[in-house]
Amino acid sequence: MQIDETSSLFPEKVSFEDILRSTPCFLSVQDRDLKIVATNEGFIETFGDARGRYCYEVYKQSENKCRECPVEQTFLDGKRHSMEQLVALPDGSNIPIVAYTAPVYGPNGEIEAVVEISADITPVKRLEAKLRESRERFRLLFEEVPCYISVQDRNLNIVQTNRSFKEDFGDYVGASCFEVYKHRGEPCLKCPVAATFHDGKRHYSEEVVTSLDGRQIHTLVSTAPIKNPEGEIEQVMEMSTNISQIRELQGQLTNLGLLVGSISHGVKGLLTGLDGGMYLLSTGMEKNKPERVQKGWRMIRRNVEHIRSVVLDLLYIAKEREPEFEPVALKELAALIVEMLEKRAEDLEIDFQVDLAEDVGTCEVDPKSIKESLVNILDNAFDACRVDERKDSHFVRFSLASEGDDAVFRIEDNGMGMDRETRQKVFSLFFSSKGVEGTGLGLFTANKVIEKHRGVIDVESEPGKGTSFIIRIPKVRDQRVEA
Amino acid sequence: MRKILVIDDEPDVVSYLSAFLEDEGFQVLSASNGPDGLALAREERPDLITLDITMPGMSGIEVLTTLRRDEQLNGLPVVIVTGVTSFDKLTDYRDVRGPEGFMQKPIDLAQLLSTIEGILDSSR
Repeated sequence: MQIDETSSLFPEKVSFEDILRSTPCFLSVQDRDLKIVATNEGFIETFGDARGRYCYEVYKQSENKCRECPVEQTFLDGKRHSMEQLVALPDGSNIPIVAYTAPVYGPNGEIEAVVEISADITPVKRLEAKLRESRERFRLLFEEVPCYISVQDRNLNIVQTNRSFKEDFGDYVGASCFEVYKHRGEPCLKCPVAATFHDGKRHYSEEVVTSLDGRQIHTLVSTAPIKNPEGEIEQVMEMSTNISQIRELQGQLTNLGLLVGSISHGVKGLLTGLDGGMYLLSTGMEKNKPERVQKGWRMIRRNVEHIRSVVLDLLYIAKEREPEFEPVALKELAALIVEMLEKRAEDLEIDFQVDLAEDVGTCEVDPKSIKESLVNILDNAFDACRVDERKDSHFVRFSLASEGDDAVFRIEDNGMGMDRETRQKVFSLFFSSKGVEGTGLGLFTANKVIEKHRGVIDVESEPGKGTSFIIRIPKVRDQRVEA
Repeated sequence: MRKILVIDDEPDVVSYLSAFLEDEGFQVLSASNGPDGLALAREERPDLITLDITMPGMSGIEVLTTLRRDEQLNGLPVVIVTGVTSFDKLTDYRDVRGPEGFMQKPIDLAQLLSTIEGILDSSR
């Protein structure tokens, strides 16, 4: 020990013994048998008179030596040791302590005793528990948050991901974010993560990313810097929320709004048609004009039929039926459709030309919805002819053929045709080419149905000349048609 | 006999209005699109025109502005008969004289008749 000789404290006023006695910890001295030979006040206050007892008796209330004893270690190797232990108090409770041991050398250089100093570390343990708890809470938050979280380093390599991320993008710690999210070979142009590394601020963007299973996911991305204790940005956290559903809902709402608008307009037209038919019918009968009666009656029938289509189409859309696939001989389906529509073509004096190839065979389709769709498109063709006043004669050609892996339906007419603007809108909900009696819903649903069959509909048209609809459906259900 | 020109792309509306107006003693001419309607108006000089708004190609508003800008035709009274409800759509004719009448579909025949009679009486 180093003592300041000039101080008046030692050894007159205060002895080493006094000091040892008063030291605020549990101090004990043990012999080679691990018997306690001396203790200080702190020890006595807590554990009572322990002289002559084994330290494990006192600390552990056990008859056996502890497996790992720091005192024993020190006797063995002459080095200082420390250990955290849970010790028993006389009243039966336990406190956590940390014990430090050191050898005490006798005059002949042998280790005669070991001094053990222990401190109650209950507050430390409590803090440790709190830290563990808060770590665990944070970890849970990180893992369980229902959005994608990834942490990237300055090289844009992923160092950590949460559960949602792993589920949809895989566990690619070590890969770069642009590889995993975007399947790209190089960083994205406007990378919010890079921006945050650059200026330390949060950045936001909307991105479309690709999941493991090939889905396109719309996400709202926000990034935040993660600083080390020195305040330097070591990593950046990227959090992405899946907004695909919202975008879809938005699309649906927009469609719905347009739908309501277009229906309201369409319904007025229908009511006018019915009013007109009834006027002609009743005045025709009053004035004894049979031709007028006929005309009126036809108008009523046509508009009632039209109302039927609108309502059924609406119900179809509202229900969003999933197709029920079954093997269907397409030629027979087509022949059925022809049978259904022959009379209408005759009434309208349209030359209904039919050419159904023999070799198309059987395909897996939902017969009900395919039939409805084809009928819709054919009806459109008939209407286009009906309102076209420029030609003397009209035809509608309905053909079915095999083209490679697809079955191809062609519906051509020489009716009024569509200009480019109309053609682009032809499958959208608000499409209602005036003059044609289309509800605007029939083609929309037809397009959706063909999409569900993984097929495509192409439209060619020239105003005044006519229109062709080309419907391709893959014969084998798993293939997507090459557009 | 007073002549009315009906311009509407829906054949049913044309049949309806024609029958009704003929029954009421008018001579009725009809056209299913803007250009044909304008040509007919120039040729026949009707006493009144009923005009639909939503037509493919030339819209009713375009027909109206053309009529108003034509020296020979701008005196012709026009009654718009339409399914369109939003009036903001129809503000593009603000720089020419507006229509003398405005009817919404479904058509109230009595109202249509009184509107037409009213216009024709006052223009005498």
